Amino acid sequence: MSAMAPLPPPALEVVELSKSLNGKILFDKINFAVAAGEIVGLSGASGAGKTTLFRCVTRLSQADAGEIRLFGRDIRRLGGYQLKQARRQIGLVFQQFNLFGRLTALENVLAGRLGYMPNWRVVLRSPAAPDRRRALEALDRVGLATIAHQRADRLSGGQQQRVAIARALVQESMLIIADEPVSNLDPESAEIVLGLLCDLARRDGRAVLCSLHQPEFLGRFVDRAMRLSNGQLATIDDGPWRKTDPAPSRLPGECQAETAGTGPGHPGADNRAGDVPEPCVAPFVAAG
Amino acid sequence: MANEAIAKNGDPGHRPVRRWPTRHGALILLAIGAYAICVDLAEVDLHRLWVGLPKLAHWLGRAWPPDLTDLGLLLFRAAETVAMATVGTSLGIVIAAPICLYAARNVTPSALLYYPARWLLNLLRGIDSFVFALLFVAAVGLGPFAGVLGIGLHSAGSIAKLWSETMEGMVPGPLEAIAMTGASRFKLIVYGVVPELLPMLLSTSLYIWEFNIRSSTVLGLVGAGGIGQDLKNSVDLLDFSSVLTIILIILAMVTAIDQTSAWLRKRMT
Repeated sequence: MSAMAPLPPPALEVVELSKSLNGKILFDKINFAVAAGEIVGLSGASGAGKTTLFRCVTRLSQADAGEIRLFGRDIRRLGGYQLKQARRQIGLVFQQFNLFGRLTALENVLAGRLGYMPNWRVVLRSPAAPDRRRALEALDRVGLATIAHQRADRLSGGQQQRVAIARALVQESMLIIADEPVSNLDPESAEIVLGLLCDLARRDGRAVLCSLHQPEFLGRFVDRAMRLSNGQLATIDDGPWRKTDPAPSRLPGECQAETAGTGPGHPGADNRAGDVPEPCVAPFVAAG
Repeated sequence: MANEAIAKNGDPGHRPVRRWPTRHGALILLAIGAYAICVDLAEVDLHRLWVGLPKLAHWLGRAWPPDLTDLGLLLFRAAETVAMATVGTSLGIVIAAPICLYAARNVTPSALLYYPARWLLNLLRGIDSFVFALLFVAAVGLGPFAGVLGIGLHSAGSIAKLWSETMEGMVPGPLEAIAMTGASRFKLIVYGVVPELLPMLLSTSLYIWEFNIRSSTVLGLVGAGGIGQDLKNSVDLLDFSSVLTIILIILAMVTAIDQTSAWLRKRMT
């Protein structure tokens, strides 16, 4: 037997990362990794530093010390064009959606392609046909193809968050970071959005890191959960469903099927093993 | 418990006595003194006003009916005034656009050029279009073109300041979202900032245009064209019937422009 090929590096690996703000230690030498195809939850009290952690990981803020390895490459010391390129690999979904209200849903999604478009296309607001098609496909995937030409500020909170996810999708980033994506949403919209994030991990094999307040969502939607408190990161849930039952009848991947009542979903472990998964968010087109 | 808290933090019902009457009294006296100096410097003389009022009433009596013999020429001058303000404002917009991008802290492409851009717009804003026009009359000669240049330079400062403040007032979230897509600053501005703020930017420009039409009615006093020149000539000749006609034309023009601009601005936002 030949030697096993080395494992690819995790999508995101945070090593000994520290950050203080106004004399308060937000996190101190924390370590964690998020692998492709898994969805990792992060909980913690308000003000514990979850948002700051995400901002440091995406380089919107500077960490004090440590390493942030994006697909094996430390991005803490990157600047200028290299940083822009690295950022393209991270799709960031915000609590406040952060869409441009006067632009249409489609134009907001196309913003995810800005890093790839030549300047003249941006000035003339004339995206190339493949970009446009990709954006429409992303909107279709989040169930919003029919409202592509509506202004973003006329959409509901849940719809706006799905547009934001579509924007992250067209960016072709294999790491999605979602900062409390459902805390401003009603329970129904929250389920849809979390189902979508699950799907990005299960079906596309993207790595998803998501902060969540609600324990019931953590239990149902994520593979692993961590908690940030007093500057330290602790694993609070290491996927008990996987440890206790090798062939469970109900898996966290079924979350969407459960919400929409459409047959069984797919265990994340199966999908990661290379199965061709069915979309576990198929019913979203109908959801409003 | 309550007593302990009061002993520790002081009774909230009894605030410590402040010596505000002394301090505030001194400040008020100072302000009154400064105002008195202003009144003196402005040579305010109510007696002179009292003596002059009958003279004014007499002139007003002579002004009626308004003299309409030169109405065609005066309307042409009014159009010239509107044209001067319009072209001047558009010149201001062209100059303001690049300055405001550098002068808005959240979108400036260069932190080094932020302060020079602010200084430049404050300089332009600080010199009135009247003063600029005076200088340009000397440089390019009499006529509305000097007015256009004067209005353009002064408006550039005002527009750049208002625009950059509008940009700085943007919520940072969408800008960060676009920055995360790996887009350059240029794309961020062109694709996100400008369309998002367009109604506000246009509304500000219309407001400045409105203001410029009012201010350009007097630019003729320094020889920079427009209806102001005729106003000065008529006053110099004590031709009060013509003065009345000109004032009525100015009033009608300014009201019409104000209404149009307000209507347009309302439709935009």
